[in-house]
Amino acid sequence: MPGPIDYSKLRILPDFDTVEWWAATRQRKYLVRQCKACGHKWFPPTFPACAKCASMEVAWFETAGKGTIYSYVVVVQPIVGAFIGTVPYVVAIIELDDCKEADGRVTRVAGVMIDEESEVAIGLPCEVVYEETNDPKIVMPRWKINGTASGVWRFTE
Amino acid sequence: MGALTDKYCIVGVGETPHMRPSNRTTLSMACEAVSKALADAGLKPGDVDGMTSYQAGDSTTSPHVATALGMRLNYAVDILGGGSSGEALVANAIGLIEAGYCETMVIFRSMNGRSGRRMGGQTPGGPVPVANAEGDAQFNIGWGWTTPAQRFGMSAMRYLHDTGCTTKAFAEIAVAHRYHATLNPKAIHRSPITIEDHQKSRWIVKPFRLLDCCQETDVSVAIIVTSRERAYDLRHPPVFIMGGYARTLTDSPQWNYSRESLHYVAGNYGWKRSFGMAGISHKDVDFVSCYDAFTFTTLIQLEANGFCGRGEAGEFVKGGRLQIDHELPSNLSGGHLSEGYTHGVQMVIENVRQLRHRADDACPGWAEGKHSYDRQAGCRQLRKADICYGMGWGWENMASCLVLRGMAA
Repeated sequence: MPGPIDYSKLRILPDFDTVEWWAATRQRKYLVRQCKACGHKWFPPTFPACAKCASMEVAWFETAGKGTIYSYVVVVQPIVGAFIGTVPYVVAIIELDDCKEADGRVTRVAGVMIDEESEVAIGLPCEVVYEETNDPKIVMPRWKINGTASGVWRFTE
Repeated sequence: MGALTDKYCIVGVGETPHMRPSNRTTLSMACEAVSKALADAGLKPGDVDGMTSYQAGDSTTSPHVATALGMRLNYAVDILGGGSSGEALVANAIGLIEAGYCETMVIFRSMNGRSGRRMGGQTPGGPVPVANAEGDAQFNIGWGWTTPAQRFGMSAMRYLHDTGCTTKAFAEIAVAHRYHATLNPKAIHRSPITIEDHQKSRWIVKPFRLLDCCQETDVSVAIIVTSRERAYDLRHPPVFIMGGYARTLTDSPQWNYSRESLHYVAGNYGWKRSFGMAGISHKDVDFVSCYDAFTFTTLIQLEANGFCGRGEAGEFVKGGRLQIDHELPSNLSGGHLSEGYTHGVQMVIENVRQLRHRADDACPGWAEGKHSYDRQAGCRQLRKADICYGMGWGWENMASCLVLRGMAA
């Protein structure tokens, strides 16, 4: 397992576009942005407009927090102090199951896996889990493998 | 052909040494680089009336440099930018001179990229003690996912998955660019390396090892652009600007990982424009330069710009294809991987020197264009250096290009 993340060395500073997203994570909900005009979904919510139709009438879509690992890296040399005791850890891009759109667009998010490097592979299913931090306003979403799949791919070097 | 193809030239290039650390201000380094570029062109400060630079909130400005050197400018502007901005500012210079805003323009970049503000936000001494995550960084610092190596690694990993390529292809690029650095007295790293050395080097962030990553340095670089008519009277053979593209974007930005393919990068959208403007095809290109912040970025730019098919770059670079005296030499100064890190401009500088036939190597007569072509004796001048295709990169989502030719082409 990766080591613990020292959240005392991180200051998450929500802003106008993201404060509701962080509030939702405190309630164990994983949100993505959704366009009120055309229904397109995206992440992260720092983008204030719909890239498909340019509407700025935006809402939230509550996902089930489940998806498939699309790519990943294994951080060996830490850069952010909070992660000095965490290495090696896997950051993954996850394609969400319930955000696939009729025109083929998907929504992918990123996060730190709970699982260790040897367990992670492209193609595996995973789900969000929530981790308390030292800041009562911030709950951090992380990701955990929750099943198996055929044809998965793992970096073995 | 572009309406302004071959009408504008690069006539001067200059740089400070690559330092670790410089113990100097970015203004001091910029003044040195600009002065050297002026001397290289055979111009005096009063002959230049336009200046521009790019930075990331980490550098001095054109008005400071012009004031320090006693230049009265008709046009000065400094932009926020990064990798691929150097090529973009060459395009700006052409337009500004054509429109009459100025006649001769200096472009510079000055950065304490090692001892000052480092790419990815780490401090010179190591990890960031306490990190503030605001704006876009709310969705990466909190996940310990900040540096270019960590971010580009996602695209690289998916590339390996999609294509069956292995990191031995990354090694080919590290070896080729290092070999060129062995022929460059200015380079930080001048000891040759092998594929095995690359494969044995320590992991930074999988799939990238130490020898996949560039060398952060403190440095300033400058180039001078003017019209063809003025260029003929200056010190060196002119290098003609044939075409390019500038800060082309993908369909969604680098911090949005939902686009169709992570490794379908911005160059894919630009290369027909640059080849069309230059009026050439791939087979006319004698050598290339790539923004080699990482080995992988070189690989993917060659593919994006059509030098090989999608997913074929791993095969394409095998067997030393990118090395001097082989099919498609790349980054003849050693590039970011082995010479030092200048945010891209050093590639333009080296390409200009090669096209002039005046690579500043170990040959005693290099300044007069006299070269031995003996690699054992330290000559790095290409025998045939008529047309160069230079590729810039600013994350996966942003790319530039500059196609140059020398007098012979």
